[in-house]
Amino acid sequence: MGFLNNTTITVDAILTKRGRELLARGNNEFQVTKFALADDEVDYRLWDTSHPNGTNFYGAVIENMPLLEPVPDETQALKYKLISLPKETSRLPILDIAVPSLTFQQGGGNGDLLSPGTLNSTDADLGYTFLIHDTAVARLQIGQAAPGQTAPLVPVNLSSEEITNSQSVVGLTARVVPQTFTTPNKKKTQITVVGNQTGATQTITVTVNKTVLGSPASPVSS
Amino acid sequence: MALAGAYKLFDQENDVVKNIKATISSGIWSGGTGTLTTFFSQSANSSSAGKYYYDVYKTDPSSDTEAEVQFSIGYGHLDGSGSLGTVGGATGNRASAAIHAQLVNLLLPPNKDRFTYAGSVTSKHFFVLSLKRARMREKMDPGNWELRISGSVKNVGENIRLIDDSNSTTDPEAGIGGRVFNVVTGSITSGTTSINTAASSNPGGGYGLFYPDLGIVLLNADIVDASASISVNTTSNTDGGNVPAFFSSVKGGAYFQARREEKLSSTHYFVRAGNKEFNFSNNPTFFTASTGDFTQPTFFKDPKVYITTVGLFNNSNELLAVAKLSQPVLKSYSREALIKVKLDF
Repeated sequence: MGFLNNTTITVDAILTKRGRELLARGNNEFQVTKFALADDEVDYRLWDTSHPNGTNFYGAVIENMPLLEPVPDETQALKYKLISLPKETSRLPILDIAVPSLTFQQGGGNGDLLSPGTLNSTDADLGYTFLIHDTAVARLQIGQAAPGQTAPLVPVNLSSEEITNSQSVVGLTARVVPQTFTTPNKKKTQITVVGNQTGATQTITVTVNKTVLGSPASPVSS
Repeated sequence: MALAGAYKLFDQENDVVKNIKATISSGIWSGGTGTLTTFFSQSANSSSAGKYYYDVYKTDPSSDTEAEVQFSIGYGHLDGSGSLGTVGGATGNRASAAIHAQLVNLLLPPNKDRFTYAGSVTSKHFFVLSLKRARMREKMDPGNWELRISGSVKNVGENIRLIDDSNSTTDPEAGIGGRVFNVVTGSITSGTTSINTAASSNPGGGYGLFYPDLGIVLLNADIVDASASISVNTTSNTDGGNVPAFFSSVKGGAYFQARREEKLSSTHYFVRAGNKEFNFSNNPTFFTASTGDFTQPTFFKDPKVYITTVGLFNNSNELLAVAKLSQPVLKSYSREALIKVKLDF
């Protein structure tokens, strides 16, 4: 009769850059109130249902892999969070934005409207959170407001610089309006759209090209 | 089906244990080793800075570009003897006077101008070892260091073995330099402290003073000179070469064992994932991008995910701390997970 393993898994945590910043500020700003779990580094295609040793070994390849150490950059951690859904869920919600990217010419009118849809579920009540990472490239305007009210849901991890330059709005649709700039000739950023009910996330690229004016016409010689 | 399912609030009463104090000790030298047996100085020590102190390395800095300073040694004299310069006379920086005044200012009260050792023995000069802060971090661990310097002392052997007497001192003197212990002859190599002669019984007083909170070992140059035959040069307005002489003696002893000590304050977060929680994933290999179907059909009604990372968040969903498991842990409807996350401050 062997002994049962009753040990708790114990791990050491490191502070992220944001955590260190809040801790250094004092004022009781460092307050851990919740947690999330993630499966970064795991590839579920390694799940082997044909393993000769049977069901207990389907995940053997994943379970025996070593993991990398944590890094203090909060934008590189917890990329793929574990979520709680009903047991009968057969398909995960997917966000469909229809366009993989947006490209504008400076001064190109009123921009484009983003109208995402949610497959396998719905975000019709609380709408979507639209987040543009750099407002120097483009800004967001609410197209159609969502019936329900909710604060912007930003599950993506942003760097300090991105937090400063980003903008988020909540609605069923949002208009992307390109900004003007003198340099460089082209600017790029990303828009992340998150379903406020499902958590489904999609990211598209936004590019704004600077308008190059033609050279003045040569004077007509008489 | 809201994303709130990605986060779970801590029960602050039952899941969070704050302010757990623990004293951590470890080897003090580079790489966490506890014993230093090789001692190197740098050619730059022969420059002007070398008149004041020598930096001591574990590896040869002339050949090892990653050599790190372990500690520094110096010589101080109340009157500046053993170094160039006199008051109102010969020019010179009076290096030994500067070192003496520096340590007196740091370690003694305002009305004292020299150190007093056990048995009320005073001395005008001393040798000093000052540990690099990066090595000792918070403090040296009293009762857990032994320095050998070449020389001879009765019944001890070839080298003089120096330790502190914290093991036999229940109420250490505490001055402006923090706690102070006597430096005595003895050894800790057997695992327990073995003092040869108590400081108060030593005719010349103790060998020196030990300030663990500052990482400073101060040795009475009179006693060390007599035992280690360093031939301390106390001639006025003369570069006596006392620092390199003491370095040679330390190098000759070829043994410095020490530990550092840190007091850590930790918070433990008990991360509890119930059987019905965290059984699905946003991982792109968990479902197909086109339809949202599971990549593994067997996951329908029996999803299996693996926990590799735990993130601690604030109310604004800002990631404040992150922990990684050593191996992925399976999570499913038939399994619960309890992970203790330890965060040190």
